[in-house]
Amino acid sequence: MSRKQLLLTHHASLITVFMAVNRTQKEIRQRAPWWLVGLLFGNLALMSYDARDDVTKQRLIRVWAQAVASPFQRATSGAGGAGVSFFQKIASWRTAVAENEQLKQRVAQLETEVRQARIDHVETERLRAMLDLKEKSEYQLIPAAVIARDPSLWFNTVTINRGSSSGVGLNMPVVMPGGIVGRVVATSPWTAQVMLITDDKSAAGAAVGQLGESSALGSVRGLGENGLLEMRYVSGLAEVKVGDFVVTTGQDGIYPQGLNVGTVVEVKSGSATTPHTIHIKPGARIDSLEELAVLQYRPPQRPAPDQTLPNVDKGRKQ
Amino acid sequence: MRQLKIALVLSLALILQSSLGVIWRPLTYIDLPLIVVVYFALQRDALQALIIGVAAGLAADALGGPKSLLGAAGFSKTLTAYLIVSLATRVNIDNPLARIPVLAGAALFDDTVYVLLHRMLNQPLDYRFIDRAPLKLISTTIVGTLILYALDLFFSERARQRRQLAFRRRVARRSPLKLRRRK
Repeated sequence: MSRKQLLLTHHASLITVFMAVNRTQKEIRQRAPWWLVGLLFGNLALMSYDARDDVTKQRLIRVWAQAVASPFQRATSGAGGAGVSFFQKIASWRTAVAENEQLKQRVAQLETEVRQARIDHVETERLRAMLDLKEKSEYQLIPAAVIARDPSLWFNTVTINRGSSSGVGLNMPVVMPGGIVGRVVATSPWTAQVMLITDDKSAAGAAVGQLGESSALGSVRGLGENGLLEMRYVSGLAEVKVGDFVVTTGQDGIYPQGLNVGTVVEVKSGSATTPHTIHIKPGARIDSLEELAVLQYRPPQRPAPDQTLPNVDKGRKQ
Repeated sequence: MRQLKIALVLSLALILQSSLGVIWRPLTYIDLPLIVVVYFALQRDALQALIIGVAAGLAADALGGPKSLLGAAGFSKTLTAYLIVSLATRVNIDNPLARIPVLAGAALFDDTVYVLLHRMLNQPLDYRFIDRAPLKLISTTIVGTLILYALDLFFSERARQRRQLAFRRRVARRSPLKLRRRK
């Protein structure tokens, strides 16, 4: 076969193919209604078959289609859910600022309420203790509240809201449920000044342990700033240990006997010739005084000391 | 390659149609497979439109619950596709604005046929036609208009040419010869 013939054959085949394609497109256009009718009948047959089973309609095509689609559906739902939650978060940021402000106000309000409730609770406890003290005390009590502290750093006194008009007198002991607080050093009709037991100028007669059984008698005075008391003149032979309680003896002419002073926190042991040095933590909460009670206690009158020499007196009397 | 693209787009539409309702219920009003069917029916290829229509419909039926009739959506979407092809070969509806009534009509027609088929075969529907059809019509028309525009960017020959021209223009703008001329 010559080259010319080959080319002719090739061109003829190309034309045939082109015509075939054209014919196919044309045929498709012409046959589209038939395709349509066929497909519609197919669908109708499927529907009729499907409609016959009223119970389950669990067709194989559904089972397979849903099995194949489920991983993609899950992924899409997951991604969509994440996207939606992201946009919801963005949307919620707009309201978050206002909500945050409201919550802050609410928290502040609740904190105030909680603080007030705590204060009320503490106050209730304190008043209950004062009531107990009043019931147990054998002396008349004048309840009082601390209304001021000495404004300077140099004095350890407080001002109470009861004065001479209420029966408060000089040197009357002031107590609270934990123990002695101090004594009245000045009065006005409506107020009184109280020198605290921690003041280095205050003093009280005290004993370590039970009165009548203890031989550790001495004098308690304040140490000033550190809030502790010091007990002096306790015999070095007396047995004193940390944790022992200290009570008033009533020999100082100010405090009645048996009132709690505090507990021993440190003992510097003495000897037969030197006394113990004992540090005591006050039983009363001196640093947070609010309610107090003034004891209407008058110490028994002491006989006036004999000032003259015995021989002279005797001689004069005779 | 084109057939693969079509299959992917159709699959995506079907998966999204069944999944988006889980995220937000009103998204079920948008009939994504119908939008895809309408788009390919507008290409005036009758056989392709019919095949896409029947595939989309049958797949939608298969992914649906047991209450829906198998083949009902296949029937309605095939018929819708054919009608749009017939319309597109007689009237020029390539204009994006002209597609809006086509989408709306397709949504209404598809729903009507679907509901009628169920009524004919005595299959009860959970919702009334009047409650659902208007919402589907509005949602599908609005979202469909946007999706048809997006599909145009990926499938149409004119869009491909536009992309090529834009690329050439960009290259021409950056040409060093032009820079020299400015100097």
